[in-house]
This record gives sequence, C-alpha cells and structure tokens, in this order.
Amino acid sequence: MTARLDSPLKVTGRARYGSDHNPPGMVFGYVVLSTVAHGEVTAMDVTAVRDAPGVLAVYTPFESLELHTPHNPIMGATWVPLQDTDVAYRGQPIGFVVAETFEQARDAASLVEVSYRERTPLTSLEDGLAAAEDAPPSMDGSPHTVTVLASGVESIEDALAASPVVVEATYTTAPQNHAAMEPHSAVAVWESGTLTVYSGNQGSDLQAASLAQALAEPLSAVHAVNPFVGGAFGGKGATSVPAFLAAAAARDLGRPVKAALTREQVFTATGTRAATVQRLALGAEKDGTLVALRHDSWSSTPMSRAFIEQTSHSTSREWYTTPNMVISQKMVPLNIPPTTFMRAPGEAPGSFALESAIDELAVELGMDPIELRRRNSSLAPPGKDLQWSSKHLDECFGIGAERFGWSQRSEGGRVDGDWLVGLGTATAMFPALRFPASVRVTLNADDTAEVATSGADPGTGLLSVLSLIGADSLDIAPERVTPRLGDSALPSGGMSGGSTATASAGSAIMVAAPEVIDELLTLAAAPGAPFEGAEVSYADGRVLATDGRSLTFGEVLRAVDRSSIAAVGSSAPGEEMSKHSFSSFGAQFCEVRVHRWTREVRVSRMLGVFDAGRIINEQPARSQLMGGMIWGVSAALHEGMEIEADGRLANGDFASYLIPVNADIPDVDVQFVQYPDTLHNPVGARGVGEIGIVGVAAAIANAVFNATGTRVRNIPIAIEDLLDE
Amino acid sequence: MRPFELTAPETVDAALASPGTFLAGGTTLVDLMKLDVLTPERVLDINTLPLQGIDTTDGLRIGALERMSDVAAHPGTYPVISRALLLSASQQLRNMASIGGNLMQRTRCGYFRDVSVPCNRREPGSGCPALTGANRMHAVLGTSESCVATHASDLAVALVALDARVRLVGSDGERTVALADFYRMPADTPEVETDLRQGELISEVLVPRLDWASRSTYVKVRDRQSYEFALCSAAVALDVQDSRIVDARVAAGGVATVPWRLPSVEQALRGAPPTQETFEAAAALATEGARPLSGNGFKAPLLRRTIIRALREVTEEDRA
Repeated sequence: MTARLDSPLKVTGRARYGSDHNPPGMVFGYVVLSTVAHGEVTAMDVTAVRDAPGVLAVYTPFESLELHTPHNPIMGATWVPLQDTDVAYRGQPIGFVVAETFEQARDAASLVEVSYRERTPLTSLEDGLAAAEDAPPSMDGSPHTVTVLASGVESIEDALAASPVVVEATYTTAPQNHAAMEPHSAVAVWESGTLTVYSGNQGSDLQAASLAQALAEPLSAVHAVNPFVGGAFGGKGATSVPAFLAAAAARDLGRPVKAALTREQVFTATGTRAATVQRLALGAEKDGTLVALRHDSWSSTPMSRAFIEQTSHSTSREWYTTPNMVISQKMVPLNIPPTTFMRAPGEAPGSFALESAIDELAVELGMDPIELRRRNSSLAPPGKDLQWSSKHLDECFGIGAERFGWSQRSEGGRVDGDWLVGLGTATAMFPALRFPASVRVTLNADDTAEVATSGADPGTGLLSVLSLIGADSLDIAPERVTPRLGDSALPSGGMSGGSTATASAGSAIMVAAPEVIDELLTLAAAPGAPFEGAEVSYADGRVLATDGRSLTFGEVLRAVDRSSIAAVGSSAPGEEMSKHSFSSFGAQFCEVRVHRWTREVRVSRMLGVFDAGRIINEQPARSQLMGGMIWGVSAALHEGMEIEADGRLANGDFASYLIPVNADIPDVDVQFVQYPDTLHNPVGARGVGEIGIVGVAAAIANAVFNATGTRVRNIPIAIEDLLDE
Repeated sequence: MRPFELTAPETVDAALASPGTFLAGGTTLVDLMKLDVLTPERVLDINTLPLQGIDTTDGLRIGALERMSDVAAHPGTYPVISRALLLSASQQLRNMASIGGNLMQRTRCGYFRDVSVPCNRREPGSGCPALTGANRMHAVLGTSESCVATHASDLAVALVALDARVRLVGSDGERTVALADFYRMPADTPEVETDLRQGELISEVLVPRLDWASRSTYVKVRDRQSYEFALCSAAVALDVQDSRIVDARVAAGGVATVPWRLPSVEQALRGAPPTQETFEAAAALATEGARPLSGNGFKAPLLRRTIIRALREVTEEDRA
C-alpha cells in the first residue's frame, strides 16, 4: 500500500491546477449565459461593454470566434459556443468578454443587453413523457428495446401474467451536477504558432485533439497540459466551454487568456446527469426464481439529444438470470442544460430502480433479499452465452452479511428510543472496460525510471498506480519510478473515464516494460558493452550474467554511454471480448435511523464489499470506493437539480444544491475480495472508480423501508416522503 | 460586487453620525454584495465599537458584537440559545458572525438572492415568483400575497421564546423593543423587515431572567445534519413541577416570515401533565392559520411533530 504521490502537493497547495498558471501578459475572459430557456438571440447590444474599463474584446454569435464541432470516438461530438443564435436552455453560453482583469471582465459582462425571440420552453420530464422518443442505440450498439423470451413465450406480458408473484412499480431519480471542486477553467497561450492550454480534463491528448479540430489547427500545434485535475467524474470528459473560448480568443488577441466558470455557471454551462423515470415489473416463482423482468426507462436529454442516461440497458440487461426479459430506453428532449457522463452513468440511477424492485419482490415473497439475489445470480447476461470472467458476488454478500450483522435484521426494523432503525442491501455492478492506451517506459542512467502517458489523474490516484505497476514490471522499488501524466506531448493515454485507466494504462506498461528490458539486455551484451557476448537476464533492476556478474541498469547505461533508453507499449481491448463477459461486482449494506417524529433519515453505518479484480493500491482504491459510496448517500438523500418551468435552476449554488457534510457520513467500511481477472487484462485489475456509487441509493431506500414500512420510489428521499400526516 | 467606500468609525456616536451600511461579521452583507442584492455606496465597519460583553448577573445581556461561537460557549447561556446557535451555519461562520448581525440577517429565499428575477422584498412591487415557484423552503405562517419568505435566524426563534428585547441606539437616543415586536410580517410592505429606524444600531440583546429555562432546547429539522437552514425548528422551555407543566415557552422557525411565538400552544401546555397526549393536543394548535404553498404543505404536520419532539426531549426524565 502506497500513499498517493500527489497528496503532499495537494494538501500544501503546491500542486498547480490549470487556472493556477499566470503567464505574462495574461488577460481574463468571462462567459455570458442566456437568461431564457428557449428561443433565439435576436440582438446583443455590447456598446456599453466595449466602453467599460479594461475591455479588450466582446464575442457574441454576431461577432464570433470561429469554432468547429470536434468529434472523438469516446465522447462523440462536442458542442462549441457562439456559433449560432439558438438558445436551447437557460444558462447556455452566448457571449465572452475579455478584459485586463477578471473583475473588469465580469463587470463588463453584466452590461451586455440581450434581446431574445422567446419560445415556450419544456423543462419537466414528467410533462414530456407523452412526447418521448426512442433512444438511439446504446454504447454497445444494442437497439432501444431488447427482448429475450424463452421458447414458447409470446410476450413479456404473458410471462408476467404467468408469474405466481409479481411486483410492479415506477421509480424516479433527480438530475444532478458533478459539482467537482475545481470549476471548469483554462489558460491558453499561443507562442510562435503553437497553442498551450492548461485545463483540467479527463485526457490531455483527447483535449488537444478536440481543440485542434475546433480551431482548425494541426494537432502538432496544440499542447494540452493537465497534471492535476480537481475532480471530473465524467464532467470533464468533453473539452469545456472556457477552454474553447480561451484558446480561440488567445489566438485572436495575441495575448494569453484565462477563463473560468463561476460555481453557479458550472451548474448549467457544463454537463449534468439526466433525470430518469423507470417502470419495473418483476415476475417470480414462489421460491424466488425470477421468470420475467421488464424495465422501461425514460431519460431527460437536452434538445441536442447528445446524451441519454441508459438505466435499463446498464442494469437489468445483465444483472440477473431470467428466461424472459424486455428492456427499453426512451428519451425526452427538454430545454435543460446538457446531459453527459456522470459517475456510473446509467448504473447509478438504474440500480436505484432495479435494486429497490428486487427488495420489493423479497418483501412480497417473504424472503431474505440476499437469498433472493443469490438465487437469481447470473452466470452470464440473459440471452448471452459469454459467461462472466470472474464473479464472486455471493462471497461479497457472505462477507458483508457477516461483518454487518445482517442476521440481526428483523422484518420491520428495530426501535432505539425515538429512532427507527433499519438495514438495507443492494447489488452493485459496473462493467469492466478498457480503452486503447500507450505508455512510455524509460530507464535512466541514474538508476531511476519514468512511466509516462498523456491521460489524466482526475483525483483517482492513477499517478501512484502508474508508479506501482511500473515498479512491479521493472522489478524495482516504486520510489525509483517517476510517473508522468497529463501532457498531450506524452504517448496517448486515452481517457480517465469508465473506470478504465488502471486496466488500460497498466496493460500498456506491461507491454512497454519487457520491451525496454529487452533493449537493455541487447545493449548490455553488444560488442564493447560490459556483458559482450554473454547470456544475460534481468531481475531486481539488474542485468545478470550466467557467470554471476551483475550490474544495475544504470551502470549498464553509463558503461555504454547512454543517458536513457525507452520503449512505448500499447494495449487495447482485444479478443477477450469475444470469450467472456466482464464486470465488477459488489454488495452494499446500509443502516439508517429515521426519527419517529420528524422523519429525518440518517445513515448510521455503511459497508461495501467489492469484487473488482486485483487491487493495485489499496489505500486510494478504498478512498475511491468510499467516495463513490458517499456520493450514493448524496444521491439518496441530498442531491438534485431543481429546474423550474421557465428553465431557471432554482438551486444552482452550493448554498442550495445540497451535498452531504461530514456530519451526514458515518464510518464507511470498504472490503475487497481479490481475484485478479487476467482474462480481462494482464494487470488483472477491473477498476474501482464508479462501482462504489452503484446500489447505495437502493440500499438506503431499502433500509428506510425496513425501518419505517414506507417505500420511497424517488431520490433524493426527503422528509415529506416519510410524513404520513 | 460594486465599488464602495469603507470606513471604520471608532465610536458609536461616530457610527451613528455617518450614513452607511453597518458591517460586523460580514457573513450576510458581503454575501449579498457579491450577489448584487445589496449595493451600498458606504460601508461602516463597526467591529471596533465597544458593543461586546456577556453579562449573566440578572438574566442575560449580550453585546451586539459578541460572536455566535462565544455566546454559544458561554456557561451562563440558556440551553435553548446555546443549541440554536450551535445548530446554525458552520463553526467558521459562527466565529465571524455577530449577534446583532444574526438578528439582522436577510431571508434565504432564492428569488430574493437572485437579481435576475422579481422580488417584492428586494424591489417593491416587482412580484413574487415564490408564490408559484420553488417554494418548498418557504413559510406557511405570517405570509402575504406579496411575500412568503422565511426568517432565517435560529437564534431569533430562541430569543423570542424567552421574551428577549433588543436595545437600539440612534442619534436621537436609545430605546428597547421586544424582539417579537421588532420583526415585521411582510403584509403589503415586505421590504420593511424590522422596526429599526434609519441610522439605528442594535447595541445589545437583553434576555429576562428565567431560571426554569435551564429546561429548554432547540430542535432543528433540515435536509442535512449540519450547515443548512431549517425546514422547521422549535424552541421550547418548560417549567415542570410535581408532574404538572407550570409554564411553557414555545416558538417556531423555518415555517414563518418572522420568528413565530406560539402562545396558544403554551396556553394548552400550562397546567397539564407532561404526557404525549398533552404534547399532541398542544402541538395541534401550532398550525392554526397556516397557508401552505404548492411545495411546502408538509411543513404544517412537520411543525406539529417538531414541537412534540422538542417537548419530549425536555421531559425525557419526567416521562421515564
């Protein structure tokens, strides 16, 4: 176990984030947002803005910076601002004011007079359900509706009608914002035809590519730097509005430009998690065997229809064995801020519905909910014959039940003074994925090594993981390995997203390290080298000859007069995908206390037991999972964007968009069962970034039911949901 | 935030002589200046004025510039006051915020705090979006067609329960006013929030001696366990002798446009035994005249339950 390498820098304020860069001559941009939710900007009067002190430039759809829509394979198309006059949501970027100081830019921006041709906005998911559209195919190419029926069964309705026990219910989840601590920001500098952008994001080479496309510049002219990222969670996968505008304005003005969104602007001018409605029907035999599952999902989506929260496809498609299953996904286009990936997109809200429904079925059957889950555990996703590569979910539940005192749970919970106490559980799953990645491994003459890839460490601990896997692959101590990340000049590391980075970059290290060792051995045995003509091998950071002589790799490099040697290794998903299905698994446990009179829900204990393959660095892995579980508490009890009929966000700041404070969070227990999954990737790790949040909201709602007898089918759960008079 | 002139008068007389907006802890004023809700041209930093001191010789006298954290920690403070303070804001804010400033804090209504939308309290006659908008946090008592914003102070609820008075100093001299009379319900003039006259300053808070308020508490119900305003709160003090409630003080917060004293509830408690039955019957009177909005109908039952909970908490030993 290794402490994170970046912790001392971060806790002492020495880590330089994107907006901590202040190149000479820098000026400041302030983004102007729309104040209506639907319509067209007919005019923007910027006369007063131009006359304001310090103002250098005002950009609007009428006097714009030219930007082209960039595309990349993971994120698809990324919207670029100020290219037309359409307004599709309130809080949409429609202008950019650049001035000598931040205060001047902000004050001048407040003088912009905007005229709109307004149209009536549609902002309510509930009101839009009737006009829902079929969703486009999901990430894996599945159509919006997937049907699996046993032979002889004509429809899912027939299968449900034939089921001895049926539960049916509709669940809703609120829209959310990532609300990362670091607001989206960028500092852009043009020097002799080359752009350098300092900006937090989830993949520096992806950001460079997207900026190059947007600016119509060659990729070689764009350098993206992000060694530290103050949280991303999916919200910094796409290049941000401040990055596009700062880069284009810097080119236009010939001065470095800094642009940062305010906290309030982050809520609308970036991305959010969609709201969902989910209707579930489960049919079972009296012994709990699942025979039919129907999961219909609706997701809000912006008018661009750019991103859908796929709740049924990402949960019910795979989680339980059932002979009959229909899942569907629809979308409801609304005048709301853009939706995008957010920690466990699909799985987080999807698991609230599915795992609540499973609990409802357990209640209906009078069966222990863990036993019900065990009985229906899948060997492979329904209708697919690719079995799970490595699944130890039952063991997670077994360890969890023992540790959490599940056997003490009683139907109807227990009472402690004026507090009603209940226990709840839920399954967590998150697919094991990886993306193409390249990593350079360098051996230096001073006996140190470097592991370098563009990528990003958005706070996940990837930097330390690179050092540990590098050390492991080079058979040297981690202290001798310098990890480098967050610079598009380095080999392409892809994206820190989808819980993939450890598996992707780690596998590439395991390709690069043997290559650089081979080169070292070739050099060592070459004519004139210390081991000329000898048979040599490598271990413990040393080159060894059969006669017992040995030298460190640094000694060898110095002897052949080389300061360093390097190799780049690449990895990508391959034929394993045609052999198995891959997922991480977990068992979530929560204890809640609900006040008998005033009905506040307090989470008093939490435990998550996870099967995520090999754990490379236990401390940050535990922190990642704990952070996910805490976010699950937030989703269950606190978080939700409240969008009014006119598109105004009623709670777009940290005073009113609630996230948990320390007092809301009990000790969080995280346990691992460690079965390296080398069928998935050579490292054996499956990623822990997202699975921590999955299932938590359901476990809490299930615990609330256990404590109070009230089933709440919406999150966040509020006091009024539990008041019976 | 707009440019402003900052001065720091050294005496109360100097502060009263110069027009401007008083700055103490700044936890409300600076916040609202950043939002352009308040745009004072002159700000008077009054932190060096001699308005400190906590005196417990006869009741409680608190200088207006005492900080919330110091008053909460003072051994002579009644439990209901101490708890109300400790359940407010965060430790950092309590270290900065003054008692006078706490009583003068402005509503947390989201429309009041957003200058891009109408608000009768901010711009008289402009309208009230809360009547039909996001009004879950808003008031059900003391409201009018022009304003439904809640009063945000926890401390004021506790003080109103204890019949506290405020001493006000102005260039024409000083006067004391019962805190319950100090706050104005919105009616047709929501912009008039208090009885404070132009140029007047709160110099101290006076709480009459009430020995039995050692049996008192403040229950605050909210959406998270700390650093959040009340959905509903109750300040309760009970005098129980020989299994009878001799006297009672009950006030509510988070549900009304001003700190809300509940004399009918107090009356129902007096003379009755401290039982669940008594508490429920008394609490039922708390929501007389409540006018729920589209999103806050739950506040009426929640208020009744919060009062019951507070009464149970201060009588736990009697009922055991």
